[in-house]
Amino acid sequence: MNNLCADIGYKSIYHYGEELCGDHVDIVEQDENSTVVVLADGLGSGVKASILSTLTSKIISTMMAAGLSIEECVSTIASTLPVCSVRGVAYSTFTIIHIKNNDTADIIQYDNPHVILIRNNENYVYPEMEMNIDGKRIYKSTIKLCENDIFIAMSDGCPHAGIGIGYNFGWKREEIIEFMEALSNCGYTSKTLSTILVDECNKLYGGEPGDDATACIIKIRKREPMNILFGPPSNRNDCNRMMSLFFSKEGKHIICGGTTSSIAAKFLRRPLRPSLNFESSDIPPIAELEGVDLVTEGVITVNRVLEYARDYLDKNECYEKWNFKRDGAALICRLLFEEATDINFFVGRAINPAHQNPDLPINFSIKMNLVEELSACLKKMGKRIKVSYF
Amino acid sequence: MKVTVCIGSSCHIKGSRSVVEQLQYLISDNNVGDKVELGGTFCMGNCQKGVCVNVDDEFYSVTPDTVKEFFETGIMAKL
Repeated sequence: MNNLCADIGYKSIYHYGEELCGDHVDIVEQDENSTVVVLADGLGSGVKASILSTLTSKIISTMMAAGLSIEECVSTIASTLPVCSVRGVAYSTFTIIHIKNNDTADIIQYDNPHVILIRNNENYVYPEMEMNIDGKRIYKSTIKLCENDIFIAMSDGCPHAGIGIGYNFGWKREEIIEFMEALSNCGYTSKTLSTILVDECNKLYGGEPGDDATACIIKIRKREPMNILFGPPSNRNDCNRMMSLFFSKEGKHIICGGTTSSIAAKFLRRPLRPSLNFESSDIPPIAELEGVDLVTEGVITVNRVLEYARDYLDKNECYEKWNFKRDGAALICRLLFEEATDINFFVGRAINPAHQNPDLPINFSIKMNLVEELSACLKKMGKRIKVSYF
Repeated sequence: MKVTVCIGSSCHIKGSRSVVEQLQYLISDNNVGDKVELGGTFCMGNCQKGVCVNVDDEFYSVTPDTVKEFFETGIMAKL
């Protein structure tokens, strides 16, 4: 076992005028350290393509995760996919990236643009073995993983972006590589990277994509623990116990909440220095406390973090906000979404009497809901979450 | 003189940001920046009376609409 893990994210844009995507990404976790990712691109666009790609990715990911061979997967697909009545063929291209033990990756590619691997901020050309399965030419590679490896799988909608509009022959592979190399060292998550890539495609298509375009990115990174303290304990006598447990944990420490940070300041015997810098944002200012990486206000800030988290999992339209702003919520987002892989929540259940006012939108049940919903969102991002209540 | 404005959740909702910004403006407009130190603090435990402001150790309840009045009587009058 090593200390690596895979951060997986993808984003699609749809063929102009279609309501369904003809590309499909399916991710199956085989066990804690092994994952099968399949990106399938169905023939055509719309409903038919969507059915073909969904079936293909689902069948392959399930079979691969169950340990079956690629030959069996391919022949199963060939004999089960519905045949298109217009074209007389059943066809969906696919890319499989099988992460094993967070140590090696098997890449199996059929007719999709080949996976780009960026290692040490440069394009890394990996060896490929050609196989012939049922008349299909399939390429297989096995790659030993390194920290900061970035695998970029795409549907052909990406290199075709801009054909006839900006470029004669679309967005060339070399240019995509150059574009992604420049982004590889910025600490972006795989979801953000795939969003930036697909957004660029959308621009090249002039906002009216001529094909479904999908990017699925896997970033190999070190595990990074992070601890977040939210709210004072329900029993005053538990303050010291809560603080010593919190500060004994490895990794960065975030504290949300005014009263909570005052308790922490007392525990650490260090002054708490709230800033008056509003960072042109409607989120309350942050504070400084020696020994703590980030101190923010509580409910309002965390509520905004939850909004960003929901958007991140959905359309990821707000990433520019939390990626570049410097308010408390944006800073928490960068720490939790980008840096952390294992997050420990320390949640205090004290009821702030001043907040139990019907005029204020911040009562106790809202606070508890925030924690539950935020931890659910972070789990969906692939983080390991532990929540302890005090 | 030290003026501390609460920037906790409750006071934030009641407009502490506007109070801080108005005070920052008034302090520089009246050229008293060398005499008045403006700072922030988290919850003072007096949320019902927010926005909570302390002038040295004296407590004031201020709203965004009463900042000017507070500045005249609570700060300027005592310099």
